Amino acid sequence: MKLQESSFRSGLRSGTTLALILMFLVLIGFNASGAALLARLFGQTTLSGQLPPAIFGIVFIALLAVGQGISSALASRRRNAARPWVSSFAAAGLAGLALAVFILVMGSLYQNGADFRKTLYALSPAYIKFLTVDQMPIVGAAISLAVMLLAGGLAGLAAIYLPFGTYWQRVKTMFVRFWNLDGSRSLRANRYFKFGLYAVLVLMCFFVPRVWGSYWNYVFGLVGIYVLLGLGLNIIVGLSGQLVLGYVAFFAIGAYSVALLNAPIPHNLMWGFWAAVVIGILLAALSGFLIGLPLMRLRGDYLAIVTMGFGEIIRVLLKSDLLTSFTGGPRGVQDIRGPSLFGQSFSSDIDFMYLIILAVALALFIASRLQNSRVGRSWIAIREDETVAQASGVNTTRYKLLALALGAAFAGLGGVLFAARNQFTGPEDHVLMVSINVLSLVIVGGMGSVPGVVLGAFALKGLPEILRELANYRLLAFGALLVIMMIARPQGLWPVGRPSLQRKEAPDSPTENDKPNQEAPNG
Amino acid sequence: MTALSSVSFKTPQLVARIIRSVIGIIVVVWAAMRIYNVLFVNQAYGLDTWVRFGITGLIIGGMYALIAIGYTLVYGILGMINFAHGEVMMIGTFGGYFVLEALAAIPAPTLANPDLNFLNAQPLLSILLAFLAGTLAASLMGYLLEKIAYRPLRNAPRLAPLISAIGASIFLQNAVQLLFSPQLRDYTNPDALARGTGWSIEIAGSQVLVTYTGVLSFVLSILLMVGLYVLVQKTRIGRAMRAVAQDKKTAALMGVDVDAVISQTFIISGALAGAAGVMWGIHNGLVYYFLGFIPGIKAFTAAVLGGIGNIPGAMLGGLVLGLVESIGPAALGIDFQLKDVIAFLILVLVLIFRPSGLLGAASVEEKL
Repeated sequence: MKLQESSFRSGLRSGTTLALILMFLVLIGFNASGAALLARLFGQTTLSGQLPPAIFGIVFIALLAVGQGISSALASRRRNAARPWVSSFAAAGLAGLALAVFILVMGSLYQNGADFRKTLYALSPAYIKFLTVDQMPIVGAAISLAVMLLAGGLAGLAAIYLPFGTYWQRVKTMFVRFWNLDGSRSLRANRYFKFGLYAVLVLMCFFVPRVWGSYWNYVFGLVGIYVLLGLGLNIIVGLSGQLVLGYVAFFAIGAYSVALLNAPIPHNLMWGFWAAVVIGILLAALSGFLIGLPLMRLRGDYLAIVTMGFGEIIRVLLKSDLLTSFTGGPRGVQDIRGPSLFGQSFSSDIDFMYLIILAVALALFIASRLQNSRVGRSWIAIREDETVAQASGVNTTRYKLLALALGAAFAGLGGVLFAARNQFTGPEDHVLMVSINVLSLVIVGGMGSVPGVVLGAFALKGLPEILRELANYRLLAFGALLVIMMIARPQGLWPVGRPSLQRKEAPDSPTENDKPNQEAPNG
Repeated sequence: MTALSSVSFKTPQLVARIIRSVIGIIVVVWAAMRIYNVLFVNQAYGLDTWVRFGITGLIIGGMYALIAIGYTLVYGILGMINFAHGEVMMIGTFGGYFVLEALAAIPAPTLANPDLNFLNAQPLLSILLAFLAGTLAASLMGYLLEKIAYRPLRNAPRLAPLISAIGASIFLQNAVQLLFSPQLRDYTNPDALARGTGWSIEIAGSQVLVTYTGVLSFVLSILLMVGLYVLVQKTRIGRAMRAVAQDKKTAALMGVDVDAVISQTFIISGALAGAAGVMWGIHNGLVYYFLGFIPGIKAFTAAVLGGIGNIPGAMLGGLVLGLVESIGPAALGIDFQLKDVIAFLILVLVLIFRPSGLLGAASVEEKL
């Protein structure tokens, strides 16, 4: 029966979903932040704690309606329903109606002096005024309804009757054709071209940190550290298939080794940064090995929970009074001394950026080499089916331990850099959320994919800094993203190409040629 | 040659087993020494203190047991850890909180007391309404959670539902934080059930307070556990649930609507978690968006301790965990800050040494 569903009804159905989502966004105050982001696009900065001009709020809901209108019109057309644009009008109209009713009710209540901030945190009087477009509630409601209805409906009409689809197809075919042209292929395979590309990349890495100022050095330094962590966790989760949720424990070991070895309080050892790097990496790898040993029997979600338990134990211990004399307790360790090179201090933000770039390049090299090695293939075999891997002669225990130790070593390096760069580390740097962030970036990028990790780190750590109006909603988006990725695109944004079985028979099959190119920038 | 290769194949397992045994012996010996020290050498606490710890443990343990049942039911049927279960409980706490707040705002003046509100005029009815609201909110949340985040992943690889559950958990925490503000709020109890009031019993020459809220929580949690046991063992729904837990395909062939049973399971486990959430609020007195995390992990520990997939095991595990957690730090003579460490250590140790838990579920070893 669903096949015969009319455009109007399907529009109402998707409109209900949009209306619920819209109500949720309104209640958490997202409209103001989205509008502030739009306002910045138009060159108007909004101070924090203030609201952008109401017109941007209207643009924001119009954009939502446009998205919904296009998607429901296309969905109705896919079902061959008559007049698919009707569903756009229905969906956007229903969502607009819900918003209008909300604005009318809340606007009237607030005009009479009501204040729901004690219960619904986001609903400040200024925000309600912003939602009513600085008009009477009834006028604001009418404007919102009209804008949503028109924007959504017209977008649906446009999507159906204007040939956007064909344009998009044409651009896509053009791009694919160019990518597969003999000329472009041989150019990409050319040694000198590749060399030139690397040279440009290296020069960029050298000059860009000097130019773009300490804020971006901070942001991209963080992205770099998360690339390191992601590469390490990618070995554990993405390649060898062991879901570890306590990854932050290894990060903490790295951070605390530089902190304890190289800060005046609590121990005043001052062994220097470089010794701390080596010790931090080794200690993290050793702890990965030791924690892994008793856990080799566990698989899947049990391993996840146990490792999460380990991570929490370490955090609680760091926070407790028991270890205060040894690790500085809840207040952490201050004044961690940065690295020095040839007697010169080497710890400005630019120097740290170089250090991080160097570490990331090294890690990328190691990770991509490992992935294509015998070891990497054993890990993938274990990930796919541990029993079968064991039966095929893979020493599963050894390789799983190796994955844990190596992944932990990457985290140790990340922790050392993180603590030394901040000149501080404390228990609050090592909460469960760090593990979950890293896991999300591995999953969003594509499990087992090295370029995916880089992409994921940019998307999850770099993007929130760029979209800083939406900073409050970062974790919310994280959570939603994890669920949506698992349902809609479990392979991630940049999935690994599977090694093709027909390699030898068909030497110019596309997988053969695409694969080295995809991974070339990492080396 | 074959002997050599078989040796090198087995060595890591052997090493792992030796390491496991060494860890086990160290832990047991250390714990025994500490307990001996506290009980017989230091004699730091009198009997009254131990009774106090025991009462606290039983009250908290009852809540853990209710939440743990949710983990166990879902694990038994879907074979997945519902990581967002703690958040379901938190939603229940909030549901009860809002009802109590609303009732406190309704005036119900009498001649003797013109400032009386509904909450204090009808304390029993108010508490009942709060429990009802919390239970309803949490079971609705459980239902939606399954429908949105888990059902599309029914046939996905093993890790997908767990990751989706982690995502749902983060989402719910932050949604509640953004909706209702990140601040900690006091749970509004009726005056008759004010926290810190109760009966006082004399033990070993000193007064031990048994709070009303604690007794209410404990009695209610026992009642709910008995109710759940009857539901699972004696009713049609329970029989369908047991059938689906054993074999989904065969149950479907026998005419059981598997999807409906899974939804019911989430609703039931949500309801229990919601009740536990309202108890948590009434007894502990604080409500905030992050409150579900720690009880969630603890209850999972309890479920694993009792043998995950095993309902009486979850009940036993919850009570045992509650007792160990409240008595443990004192008995081992360590800092009370470290009670969370004890819970996590128990989790880790149980999974390492006896993954099937205290009462044991038959199929866990295969599922590991």
